[in-house]
Amino acid sequence: MTKRGKALAGFALAAVLLNLVPTLVEATDSPGFYITFMFTAFFWISQAVSWNILTGYSGYFSFGQGAWFGIGVYTTGILAVKHEWPFLLALPVAGILAGVAGLVLGMVVFRLRKLGGEIFALTTLAVAFVLASVARLYSFIDGGRGIFMTSTPLPEFLGDFRTAMFRMTFVVAFLTLLAAYLIFESRIGWGLFAIRDDEQVAHGLGVPVFRYKMLALGTNAFFSGLMGGVWALQIGFVTVDDVFNIRVPLFVILMSVLGGMKHWMGPAVGAVIIYTLTDRLNSAGLEDVNQIIIGGLLIVLVLAVREGIYLRLRARWKLALATFLAALSVWTLADLGSSVIWDFAYASLLTVGVTLIPTRARRRTEVRSEGPPVAVDEEASTDRGPG
Amino acid sequence: MSLLSGTDIVKHFGGIKALDGVDVTVGEGEILGLVGPNGSGKSTLINVLSGFYRADRGRADFGGSDVLRLGPHQIAAAGLARTFQIPRPFRTMTARENVALSYMFGRSRHSLDSARSAAGEWLEFTDLEDVADLPINQLTLHQLKFLELARALATEPRLLLLDEVLAGLNPTEVEESIRMIRRVHARGVTLVIVEHLVRVVTALSTQMTVLDQGRVIAHGDPDRVMQEPNVIKAYLGARWDHA
Amino acid sequence: MNEVLNQAIVSGLLIGGLYAVMSVGISLTWGALKIINLAHFSFILLGAYATYQVSNSLEIDPLLALLFVLPAGFLAGVILQIFFEFAKVDEFQSLIISFGLFIILQSITRTLWTADFRRIDGANNPYESMSFFIGDIAVQVAPLLAFAAATGIAIGMHLLLTRSYFGKAVRAIVDDPEIARAYGIDVRRVAVILSGLATSFSAAAGVFIASYQSLTPNMSLGWFGIVFPVVILGGLGNAVGALGAGVIVGVAAGIATTQWGPLSAPLVTFLIMIAALLFRPQGLFTRQGSA
Repeated sequence: MTKRGKALAGFALAAVLLNLVPTLVEATDSPGFYITFMFTAFFWISQAVSWNILTGYSGYFSFGQGAWFGIGVYTTGILAVKHEWPFLLALPVAGILAGVAGLVLGMVVFRLRKLGGEIFALTTLAVAFVLASVARLYSFIDGGRGIFMTSTPLPEFLGDFRTAMFRMTFVVAFLTLLAAYLIFESRIGWGLFAIRDDEQVAHGLGVPVFRYKMLALGTNAFFSGLMGGVWALQIGFVTVDDVFNIRVPLFVILMSVLGGMKHWMGPAVGAVIIYTLTDRLNSAGLEDVNQIIIGGLLIVLVLAVREGIYLRLRARWKLALATFLAALSVWTLADLGSSVIWDFAYASLLTVGVTLIPTRARRRTEVRSEGPPVAVDEEASTDRGPG
Repeated sequence: MSLLSGTDIVKHFGGIKALDGVDVTVGEGEILGLVGPNGSGKSTLINVLSGFYRADRGRADFGGSDVLRLGPHQIAAAGLARTFQIPRPFRTMTARENVALSYMFGRSRHSLDSARSAAGEWLEFTDLEDVADLPINQLTLHQLKFLELARALATEPRLLLLDEVLAGLNPTEVEESIRMIRRVHARGVTLVIVEHLVRVVTALSTQMTVLDQGRVIAHGDPDRVMQEPNVIKAYLGARWDHA
Repeated sequence: MNEVLNQAIVSGLLIGGLYAVMSVGISLTWGALKIINLAHFSFILLGAYATYQVSNSLEIDPLLALLFVLPAGFLAGVILQIFFEFAKVDEFQSLIISFGLFIILQSITRTLWTADFRRIDGANNPYESMSFFIGDIAVQVAPLLAFAAATGIAIGMHLLLTRSYFGKAVRAIVDDPEIARAYGIDVRRVAVILSGLATSFSAAAGVFIASYQSLTPNMSLGWFGIVFPVVILGGLGNAVGALGAGVIVGVAAGIATTQWGPLSAPLVTFLIMIAALLFRPQGLFTRQGSA
């Protein structure tokens, strides 16, 4: 089987297995929170992975994830609640609208040659602010009053609310990961990596830089908006402050940096780890410490773990898998954690810690580049850039 | 038959006229040496022809299109490639990946799967097979320059612009590079060589164009051109024009 | 209606001075050191809270806090730049690190002073609502002082950059750090001092803010919409430009508020920034082609 065939088979398998989870949870009479935990993880996976398609692959740093997310949330909010559209009809519109907004931004910003990466970053920040203001001002959007999502009916085949959320977020996350993978392993991915390294040279070698950047931006915006559309239901009472704040843009950066921006899977791993961490900190009553840890983590990561955790895990996957399984079994059997999620959290942290221990055996040669920081790890050298 | 025919190319930078109405012709199968003192506009011309700068005026016919109106990727697709004086490899990729990428996006759109193996051919041609899978920062300047060449060649160009390929090399490396250039030419690639080492260019080229302060002051047979009084004056200054 | 407009313009002008002081620090480090230091917003915030705390605890005039805040701010900038140099960070990393620092400092601020609105005790603070009248137009003293400070900074930085050795060194570094180093300029030292200056300006802005506004940790987020437009419009590293841009942004925001309500102000200022980015990315006050 070809490499791509194997990967797609892996995707299919994951899809089948994960769909069994809600049934499993019910059958074992476990807390419904497990399902909520998982679908929130799916939310973050989708946001981080889609963000990385633009920022990680092309090197164009985006502070604007909040903008696409916000468009998605408000689109389903307005269409499904104010205009009483069927939710599943409003949902793709959310993605499309966000995607179009991204493309419009791209048309403006990418056409102007003199604009460097940091100007792009600022412009994305500006877009989020502008959208927030617009939403606040105009009552056909929000007008400062917010939107109640609770009255939105969902089709019956999706199951109860939690299961419905699980299924919808799962589909979106799955599609996002699939898109990230397909782009990564294609000409477009290669082209984007070349753009990240040296856009001028890439252009001169025949890469259609404008087209590719638009594609990356549009894909990013689309999936972010699509997931936002789903997430409106979880938010319940949608307000401008709740939606257009710094949380989503901040976390996707953190998750992607942690997981690794050089690989399509990196942000997903980072998302799971960061979400687990913050969720457990919150449940332990340490919300304030949360942000300090996150900020500190960001700084440490960007200095110390340049290629991100995912590539490290992959390079030492036997060690990682062994540690994870061992830790999970120990915690679960010895009943050390008060719930499965705690068991998972501790096991993950231990795994990450273990794989980060530097070994003398490998010499790391660092390579400076324009975009995200990169280290060329001898062991992981086959993962450098594309395929 | 001229492969590239540029007329009245003008490029300003603020108040400076880097190119002040340049005409340039490159015949198919030629090696055109482009020389001139510092600041004469050689690199600017390369940048304009390859789409990195936008000309203010003029046209340059290449393969049926005016390359002054095309974007860099379209110019590459038309079959015009260039190298950089200071090598600009893609630093997060290996040499092989650099060449493979180039092959994928060059004149014909090749598939990703065929690219890696095809890259091997160009790496062999430029003696880079041994270092093809190392991180870029482990390559010497000489190797990086050859990588520039390999990368440009992988786009399967009909015309290749070499921007100061010999700069910064020691005499042995210069000899090797000259041999490489001849091999490239033998494959049927038309070349435009921008160089400071006048002796080398004169020996290599079939035709020469001399620029001074953004204008063409001589064109033709290399040996004859380099003897022209205004060329000597341009290089050495007015005091020597009676030499 | 005209009176309201005139008032808006005058008030906008004055607050533009405050905007300039808030923005000049980040503009300098961005322009000269190529570092976008998002922690600047935290330094402004901490400068404000420090003023609040000092003024209330010691029962002194808040402006006296400058004596403490300026050197503290300078030190913070110095330490930060030393850290950046030591860790050999590139542009991307400095952005992320300053972002992380911003998050941490926000959180610390929230923990120390909670989200409740804080205001300096009126007993110690004469500037709180002090204003005088020119004809029918009210002139608030606090922003007026900030405007004076901004002018001082603008003139001072301009003289520094054009007349002193330090200034020449800065301009050399902006042009080409490698060459500057080759000519014997201690790039590290210059960068560190510049960073210190920039941060002390930001902290000073905090002092002025505390003198007449109510403080809450999340207010720093609202400053993004002021500072970046001012920085872009004024030109990176341009202190005089920052003053001019501050005034433009202040007046625009003021007029927008009177015409369309306070919510329209950030919209207007960001649109100004986007327009600047599109049509004149080097800023209104920087000559074409300069850094």
